[in-house]
Amino acid sequence: MEIKSILLSLKQNKFMASIMVLQIAFTMAVLSLSVLLAAATLKEWNLPSGIPHDDIIRVTPRFYDPNMNVAAAVQHDLQRLQAIDGVQAVSPTDQVPFAAEVVRDVYLSVEEEAQSYKTNIFSADEKLLKVLDLTLIAGRAFTFSDVIADPDAKNSEVMISQSMAKALFDNGNALDKTVWLNKGSDPVKIVGIYSDFMNGETLNYFGKSYQTMILPRSSWQFAAEPHYLLRMTPGLAVQKLEDIATVFYQEQGRYLAVYERLSRIQKRMYDGRGSRALTFLVISLVLVLITSFGIAGFTSFQVNQRRKQIGIRRALGGRKSDIMAYFLTENSIITFAGLLLGTVVTLFFSFELSTMEQQNILDLVLLMVIALLLWFINVVAVWLPGRRAVKVPPAIVTRGS
Amino acid sequence: MLKMENVSKIYRTELIETHALRKVDLHIKAGEFVAITGPSGSGKTTFLNLAGLLETFEEGDYYLDGENVRGMNDNQLSDLRNEKIGFIFQSFNLLADLPLYQNIEVPLRYRGLSQADRKQRVEQALETVGLASRAKHLPTQLSGGQQQRVAIARAIAGEPKFLLADEPTGNLDSLMAQQVMELLEKINQSGTTIIMVTHDDKLARRAHRNIQIFDGQVSDLEYSVADDIVKRA
Amino acid sequence: MFRYNLSLALASLQQRPGLTFLVILTLAIGLGLYTTVQTMAFYNSSVPVAHKSENLFLIQVDSREASAEPITEQVSMVDTTYKDAMNLQQWQIPGVTTSLNWNTNGVINVLDNNVPAIRSEILATNSHFFSMFETPFIYGSGWGSEEDSSGAGVIVISRAMNDRLFGGENSVGQLLRIDTLNLKVIGVMADWTITRRFYDRSFAPGYLHEFFVPYRFALNNDLPRNARFNCWSVETQDNPQFRTENLQRLLNSECSWISFWAEIPDQQLATYQTQLGNYIESQKALGRFPREPQMYVTHLQDQVNYYGNRNGYINTFKMISRLFFAVCLLNAVSILLAKFIRQSREVSLRRALGARKTTIIYQYVLEVVLIGFMGGLLGILVSKIGLWGMLNIRLYAVDYTITAQSIAHQYQLNWLLIGEAFLTSILCALLVSLYPIWRVCNISPATQLKAE
Repeated sequence: MEIKSILLSLKQNKFMASIMVLQIAFTMAVLSLSVLLAAATLKEWNLPSGIPHDDIIRVTPRFYDPNMNVAAAVQHDLQRLQAIDGVQAVSPTDQVPFAAEVVRDVYLSVEEEAQSYKTNIFSADEKLLKVLDLTLIAGRAFTFSDVIADPDAKNSEVMISQSMAKALFDNGNALDKTVWLNKGSDPVKIVGIYSDFMNGETLNYFGKSYQTMILPRSSWQFAAEPHYLLRMTPGLAVQKLEDIATVFYQEQGRYLAVYERLSRIQKRMYDGRGSRALTFLVISLVLVLITSFGIAGFTSFQVNQRRKQIGIRRALGGRKSDIMAYFLTENSIITFAGLLLGTVVTLFFSFELSTMEQQNILDLVLLMVIALLLWFINVVAVWLPGRRAVKVPPAIVTRGS
Repeated sequence: MLKMENVSKIYRTELIETHALRKVDLHIKAGEFVAITGPSGSGKTTFLNLAGLLETFEEGDYYLDGENVRGMNDNQLSDLRNEKIGFIFQSFNLLADLPLYQNIEVPLRYRGLSQADRKQRVEQALETVGLASRAKHLPTQLSGGQQQRVAIARAIAGEPKFLLADEPTGNLDSLMAQQVMELLEKINQSGTTIIMVTHDDKLARRAHRNIQIFDGQVSDLEYSVADDIVKRA
Repeated sequence: MFRYNLSLALASLQQRPGLTFLVILTLAIGLGLYTTVQTMAFYNSSVPVAHKSENLFLIQVDSREASAEPITEQVSMVDTTYKDAMNLQQWQIPGVTTSLNWNTNGVINVLDNNVPAIRSEILATNSHFFSMFETPFIYGSGWGSEEDSSGAGVIVISRAMNDRLFGGENSVGQLLRIDTLNLKVIGVMADWTITRRFYDRSFAPGYLHEFFVPYRFALNNDLPRNARFNCWSVETQDNPQFRTENLQRLLNSECSWISFWAEIPDQQLATYQTQLGNYIESQKALGRFPREPQMYVTHLQDQVNYYGNRNGYINTFKMISRLFFAVCLLNAVSILLAKFIRQSREVSLRRALGARKTTIIYQYVLEVVLIGFMGGLLGILVSKIGLWGMLNIRLYAVDYTITAQSIAHQYQLNWLLIGEAFLTSILCALLVSLYPIWRVCNISPATQLKAE
């Protein structure tokens, strides 16, 4: 193509060319930064939960009267909840899926320098598997007799999730192996492996969404009260929510801290990140729109300004496709310069942002995809008004003289 | 070389039809230098547009160098213009953003010639019009006469079969006009057919043949060619 | 002449209404986002009790053990020990008042079973809290120095909690309970529209305390202490629970955990600092303050600035909105240029008819100022929508755990911001029109007329 001619022609329009270059560069910077931020924020976002979260209710009552017999109250609650129509199973636990924030380190040997593995440990009774609708993959599930109620007694057995098994042992063959729940102490034997479910935001953020353990334990006491997880008949959860809450009112000495469906916790887990990333994306889309309108507008102005020129080129034997190619090439040169500068600007700001956000957000592949996308948008933005350019009749050269 | 048979051009708007050209029959032979005259609005420009393949026509046949152009598509017309016709305009119509070299190169580009070939032709054309030293100048840095010589260089660089000149001296003073005319005659002598539209009788008389267009109709004016030769000498 | 130029400018605006509108729209969208972010940043860095924020000081002295790690930043410096807090608040310096606080919590309930109990954070503080930080009241007031020393069961509650627990009635004198302890409502706060919870050093946006009790009451009843305890290692050997137990041991310890504030008039600042230095020296004699004397007397303004600059989200957003605005401005340059160059013939004619270059400039500047003004107007509208959107995004992101009402003031334009937006808009409009105007006023009277 006649790149040299185009460059010479651009030299005559230095000001506008540099305005366009800057505009494309900044647009690329905003778009890339937004996409990079969104990608960094949204990694591990909205993964499958592994449980029927729409049909599970979480209830968290808290006691404030130290004289209360918590163990007995919990038993009483469980009985009353189980009796409610639509409740299929209830289990008291110390953590809630999507919101398990107590991250623990476990070890595969007793030594001081043993490697640690991150996990969320759920203390619960034997019904948790049924409540969460988890599948037993290997070994055995806990029964009522495994559940320890004495606060001073220690557990000797544990169940772990499939992902946890893979994390601990490369081949996932974890059955009958021993895990230390604290450094150098509290060894427990792995007796069962169950299907994965989402733990909570902290481990999710580190890409360890499904690493969990279940400890058969029900030693509730004051200041260590359980949450109740209720598995509802499908479709009944919303309708029964208020009925369930009522059970806990009208009783002195405690209050109902939270009651909600797990789907709401799931939403909360992702929303902060999601809405933030979305805001940036929407903003940069608006900007891409503005820029493409600007480029289309400017091209159409150029077409008007250059009608005569186009006519001359046509008269000298330029085909319609030559005229379109001219505009596209001219714009691509500008776009290319803009994208090059945009990459530099993006790199500069992404280093700044990486420090601000305390994580490396740079992703060169993504950057190239964005550059290609912008180039494509530019081509479209030129092509549309360019169709008017090719319609300029060559006979224009003999007019107006 | 150029043969029109029964060619008509009608401009239609919603309200009226204008017959810009009526049933033109014309035959121009290779090597002729033809001047076309006529009052404004008579159809000179339309004739030029048709002859130069800048516009299409509805009726008749037009043979350019033996090929009937009627019914050709836009791309074929473009290629034909590029190869067979060189244009020279009253207002020069140079591309203001480009230096002389690149201006002259434009039609060669469209013909898809190699870089070496282009270079050789551009340089030769510049040589012919006497502007070889100005190749890197922009059109606006030249006088009107020089600009028209650039336009001529561009027109002949592709070695077309014929030149279409539209009031080539209209924007020039008499001295410059003289130079441009001499250049055109030189080109004609080397074998290129030239069709020149002008309203200047004096210029027209320097051509081999005069054609008048009046109200869309074409007729030959009788001049003695010998007269002309005497005058020229 | 002005009127003539104005009419020309107006005519020119209408000449290509599409292009004019496009310029205004581009300016407005860029400005709208910019102003939205500026507004959020404004509140992010807005200083509570602004008119005396340079006289409200957080007092920190380094009472840690000799082997502790050096601290070079004010924000990392520990809080105050109970001993020091008690000593410092004894000082009688004219014009100086002091306040201390820590976080506690409990289940707030009333005897009426129809009102659900609620677990809440509670601030344990002294009587000067309300005067120093100028908290607004709708009913009653804060307590006095008498309750500070007696630890009587009085409580100040927020308007929202008054609505919830007492149906919005004047509840002064009513009883409510923290867990099983009875307290009497002494004041109901009006909406306290500060953007950051500065007084407990958390500087968290939103979420102010809804309940305030005398710190002596909290101690007497051993309410939990939700503090970060910085103790000497001898005191933490057996892992004592200071949050809920070991109160006496904590009070006698070298653990720092209390936020201590002083309001100091300008002329007393030097005196206060000297006295604080002397205090550290005198305590050294008692075997305390084993380290090189180090103290921070930091006014509120400085602290807010520090946290304001650290908000990654706002800073990122600011960066993006500026780049966004820049693109909009560049876009406006090309549209304006296109618009003005279309008028070349007309300008050329005017020049031929005797208009001076300055007259042409004058006319176009006037047009551009009008564009800037309208861009500003529309931009403010856009930013109103933007702020409304951001407010709703925030509510959505926190899953509606806070009410729109409680944070709406942080998404409100004020006259200062509106003025800034207008000024920015007009200045930017002039900036982007520099080149187009220069081009148009340099059109020579002749060429354009001849060429056509």
